[in-house]
Amino acid sequence: MKHRSIIRAAVAVGAVTATAVSLAGCGAGDPNAGDGDTITIGVSVYDMSSFITEGKEGIDRYAAENDIEILWNSASMDVPTQADQIDQYIQAGVDAIVVVPVQQDTLQPQVSAAAAADIPLLDVNATLNNDEVAGSVQPDDVAAGAQEAQMMVDELGGKGNVVVLQGPLGGSGEINRGAGIDQVLEENPDMKVLAKDTANWSREEAINKTSNWISAFGKDIDGVISQNDDMGLGAKQALTEAGMKDVPVVGIDGIEDGLNAVKSGDFIGTSLQNGTVQLASGVALAARIARGEEVSDNHLVYTMPAITTENVDDAIKHVVSERDAFLDGLTELTDANLDTGNVAYEGLPGQEQ
Amino acid sequence: MSTDTAVERRRPFSAKWLQDMAIRYAMVLVLIVVIAFFAYRSARFATPDNVVTILIAAAPFALIALGQTLVILTGGIDLSVGSVIALSAMAGAYTAKAMPDQLWLALIVAIAIGALAGAINGLVVSVLDVPPFIATLGMLTLASGLAFVIGGGAPINGLPANFSQFANTQVLGLTIPVILMIIGIVGFGVMMRRTKFGMHVYAVGGNEQASRIAGIKTGRVKFLVYTISGALAGISGIMLASRTINGSPSLGVGYELDAIAAVVIGGASLMGGRGTIWGTALGLLMIQTLNNGLDILTVPSYWQDVVKGLLIVAAVSVDVWAAKRRE
Repeated sequence: MKHRSIIRAAVAVGAVTATAVSLAGCGAGDPNAGDGDTITIGVSVYDMSSFITEGKEGIDRYAAENDIEILWNSASMDVPTQADQIDQYIQAGVDAIVVVPVQQDTLQPQVSAAAAADIPLLDVNATLNNDEVAGSVQPDDVAAGAQEAQMMVDELGGKGNVVVLQGPLGGSGEINRGAGIDQVLEENPDMKVLAKDTANWSREEAINKTSNWISAFGKDIDGVISQNDDMGLGAKQALTEAGMKDVPVVGIDGIEDGLNAVKSGDFIGTSLQNGTVQLASGVALAARIARGEEVSDNHLVYTMPAITTENVDDAIKHVVSERDAFLDGLTELTDANLDTGNVAYEGLPGQEQ
Repeated sequence: MSTDTAVERRRPFSAKWLQDMAIRYAMVLVLIVVIAFFAYRSARFATPDNVVTILIAAAPFALIALGQTLVILTGGIDLSVGSVIALSAMAGAYTAKAMPDQLWLALIVAIAIGALAGAINGLVVSVLDVPPFIATLGMLTLASGLAFVIGGGAPINGLPANFSQFANTQVLGLTIPVILMIIGIVGFGVMMRRTKFGMHVYAVGGNEQASRIAGIKTGRVKFLVYTISGALAGISGIMLASRTINGSPSLGVGYELDAIAAVVIGGASLMGGRGTIWGTALGLLMIQTLNNGLDILTVPSYWQDVVKGLLIVAAVSVDVWAAKRRE
């Protein structure tokens, strides 16, 4: 049991090198590491965003209840840093690696090295675009984009002028959510896009962008489709300032303020990307693959549930107000989801398991 | 000052007079051309509502650009203002969330934190003699890190609704940030022209050694300009947080560059000693007018960046050329 306490100490310190040394010293060749009770999973995330911070709580809870030691590192949005962290995990001989990538199409050598070392490496939340990854849990951003566009089409009765707020141009989130939005709008020829531009996921940039569009198009704007909640909230603020509070706005992600906006009627809806559920599934899937247990599919898709006034109260409970209770049931939920393959299921009204 | 008398001696409306005026006010002419272009292309541009939209967008930049002008006049630079905006916004949002019935406290905390960050810059520059670029680069990183520390790596959501009152209350049809901007421009404009402190700022930037010999406490002047810059960033931060009703650790990222651009477009020299508050206000108006006008014409933001970049270089080139002609 000595190596466990050392690992814990290393996790507490959070230093990659210390971790590597301690594991290499007494963990790597340990016959108990692979098939024993406790396994070690190295996690590398792009940065400590609110999504990741939330997800870490889910990971920590699931790990604590399922004999998993988590080694945690954040790459601070730097690809080389993330590559180093994964190299260290491979060196240390962890049982599995979960990556939330800084950027897609990166970490090619690391993925190959992990495969060569027989360490399953999974990409979660954002894709590495690599066939060699052992598994993945990926949000369906195209579906989320299509879902929000459809909400707007329904709200406007299939006919109206919208403006679209995009994420940072060229990022996978912007490209995929945008593709979903375009799909739905093309199917509805009476929907017209007055303007479309990036506000870089930022609430503050979205206010100014929307204010300028209000100057340009005034009352011609019938709705705002925002690729995330933050920008949607900014758009709502700009509309309110211009006395156009009734113009419908739709977002994606289901952050706390976004859910509250659905509840208050400021948003017609959003799509919930529950970091707690999504990242916990990633670690759970990694653990199953590492332990050689059966999985329904190595590549799971997280289909964001639509949040409207119908189910927003339950979503708020899961994400904000009754979070502790939700975390208490997380292991059971996650394990059941891995069996069905629908990792986004969290028992919201309207959601099917 | 010598050119002033030269101009006055010339007969008004002569060819030479017109030429002098054109050179002297090159930047104003460029702005007029830009405004005329947008007004010609879109009937929606030159409306009272849109002017207000431009002013509201300009306000947070105006505050930090004013501080930046003072710092640049002393021959320094303050790269930290963007991060200080994030830090004070987060500190203010945190206070508002912890004590929702004491909202004024959030305001005070944010401004105090901003001033403190500025004061540290000032001390490091004036007492330790660290080059301003390095000192404030350090503060940029430090303040950005602290902004994330406050929220535990995440934005602060779920703030009380009346937190929005700082930025959204209207007086005489103008929101508070716009009023602060107007007061700031007029106040600092007068201060730089009419007060001893204003003179000292110019003197330190013009020739620090000579100023010291002349009895100006140069260290104190430098300390004060960085503290003012920090405090203004603090005000800007709490106003931005209030407008969006949340605290975001990535608020204000890159704002320092827009502020520096405004000062430089306004004709200030990065070597110090030359520049005016009015010039900065003009530069600021130029950038914000472009942001707004290009959005109205639905020019994609990457092309907006290209246009803005070209205009900054062109504007400053014209100004430098005109300054040479004057000499």
